[in-house]
Amino acid sequence: MSSLQHHKFLSRSSPGHGFHHHRVIPIRYATSITTITCTLIKDNPNSNQLVSQPQCVSRAPPVIPLTANDPGLKSTWSHRGWVATGCATVLFSLAKAAVGAASVHIWLEPVLAGYMGYILADLGSGVYHWGIDNYGDALTPGFGSQIEAFQGHHKWPWTITRREFANNLHSLARVVAFSVLPVELVCSDPVVLGFVGMFSGCIMFSQQFHAWAHSTKSKLPAAVVALQDAGVLVSRGQHADHHRPPYNNNYCIVSGIWNDLLDRNKVFEVLEMVVYFKLGVKPRSWSDPNSAWTGDEDAEITI
Amino acid sequence: MASTVSMTTRTQRSIPSLLPSSSKPRTPASHQSFSSSSHSQFHGLNFSKPASASSAPVPYRSSFKTSIVAKVNKGQVPPNFTLKDQDGKAVSLAKYKGKPVVVYFYPADESPSCTKQACAFRDSYEKFKKAGAEVIGISGDDSSSHKSFAKKYRLPFTLLSDEGNKVRKEWGIPSDLFGALPGRQTYVLDKQGVVQLIYNNQFQPEKHIDETLKLLQSL
Repeated sequence: MSSLQHHKFLSRSSPGHGFHHHRVIPIRYATSITTITCTLIKDNPNSNQLVSQPQCVSRAPPVIPLTANDPGLKSTWSHRGWVATGCATVLFSLAKAAVGAASVHIWLEPVLAGYMGYILADLGSGVYHWGIDNYGDALTPGFGSQIEAFQGHHKWPWTITRREFANNLHSLARVVAFSVLPVELVCSDPVVLGFVGMFSGCIMFSQQFHAWAHSTKSKLPAAVVALQDAGVLVSRGQHADHHRPPYNNNYCIVSGIWNDLLDRNKVFEVLEMVVYFKLGVKPRSWSDPNSAWTGDEDAEITI
Repeated sequence: MASTVSMTTRTQRSIPSLLPSSSKPRTPASHQSFSSSSHSQFHGLNFSKPASASSAPVPYRSSFKTSIVAKVNKGQVPPNFTLKDQDGKAVSLAKYKGKPVVVYFYPADESPSCTKQACAFRDSYEKFKKAGAEVIGISGDDSSSHKSFAKKYRLPFTLLSDEGNKVRKEWGIPSDLFGALPGRQTYVLDKQGVVQLIYNNQFQPEKHIDETLKLLQSL
């Protein structure tokens, strides 16, 4: 039996913030909230009989007033350092690809590889997003903080638009720096580097694309709006669907090009069923979202 | 997913009850979506793991165990079963003889497609009642899961708990995705308990209601 536990109610440590359009009464939720989980147990590995023994207890977080300039939304020098490192890694990969391509007089293959990197980054963002949204919790090794952050984002979707640039991107930038640098150091193939550079760059900047998808049109640069309308970046409308019930679609957040295909063919639903029947874990999207997960409509900014 | 039932030689006499009875009339297949239940539709592609190697039961082997491949086909009377409903009460299929019955096997409570299917049956339940039919949903979930599923979506019909998926295997419902997913298959039994329709479709759950109602209106 898998040791995975399915958690219906989630803990949350990142602060959430809500601002009413006409009142200056910011809202803060406690930074540590304890939740207990529902565990699905397979009583006989040879049978498909699953016995659910929910033992869900949740504590509603206390509401604490916060200031308008919450430090949790600001960029620190550490954040900036990681983003700079991540960007340098991506640029190095692309530069090395360009130099390599020039030296062997090939252009089409590295460019196509770069394009494939952009396309597959969207798919990768969707799969990762689906996994994080549906499984695990704050205590999950390796992914706990991400899961918590995503749950906080579902509760206060507009917060992402208030985060400063490096604050928003530093986690992904760190992953890119650690994972891509070794590839660049050992590989000189311009096709591989073209793919890796574009893929990692799109993944790193997916949080910025995501933030833009949460912004209103009037607040965005015209170029960003044009790219969203052209389908190059994930659109505001498409991503808004992800934040509406049943919260189980439109997971991709780079260009969103995969969303329609994945949702129409129920790919994630199939994956959820397979995970359930193989591991006995139900995804969060099969349950009614609790109040800690649904978007806080009252606190949403209206612009 | 195993599709054979092992039986001892002592229970060999019960084997004939699983074989199709040659005395039962076979009705015309005018309303059946599939001529055999050995195929499952998965977005139009055939990805089923056959419930049995052939449509006929495997003959007795000379060993202490006999492997029998049991499968319910159109025109047959399916084997009776007694399963617990959402309230923990034992319910037998035989209880429904004398009226048409829609028996739908689904993978799991709360999954999106199963929820859509259950809600579609719920929303059309009056039509089923008007046709004089009962609706029974069967999955491997336990009674407490069925109870909360039925309560949450206000399902007016019976949900039965098929522990170990024994009935599913006995009826020969094919699984999908090379055995990774239990199949979604619906049977319509007439007043004599004879199967008149077998419909299989994993990810278009609402179609089960349309197909079964179409047939019931002609019974």
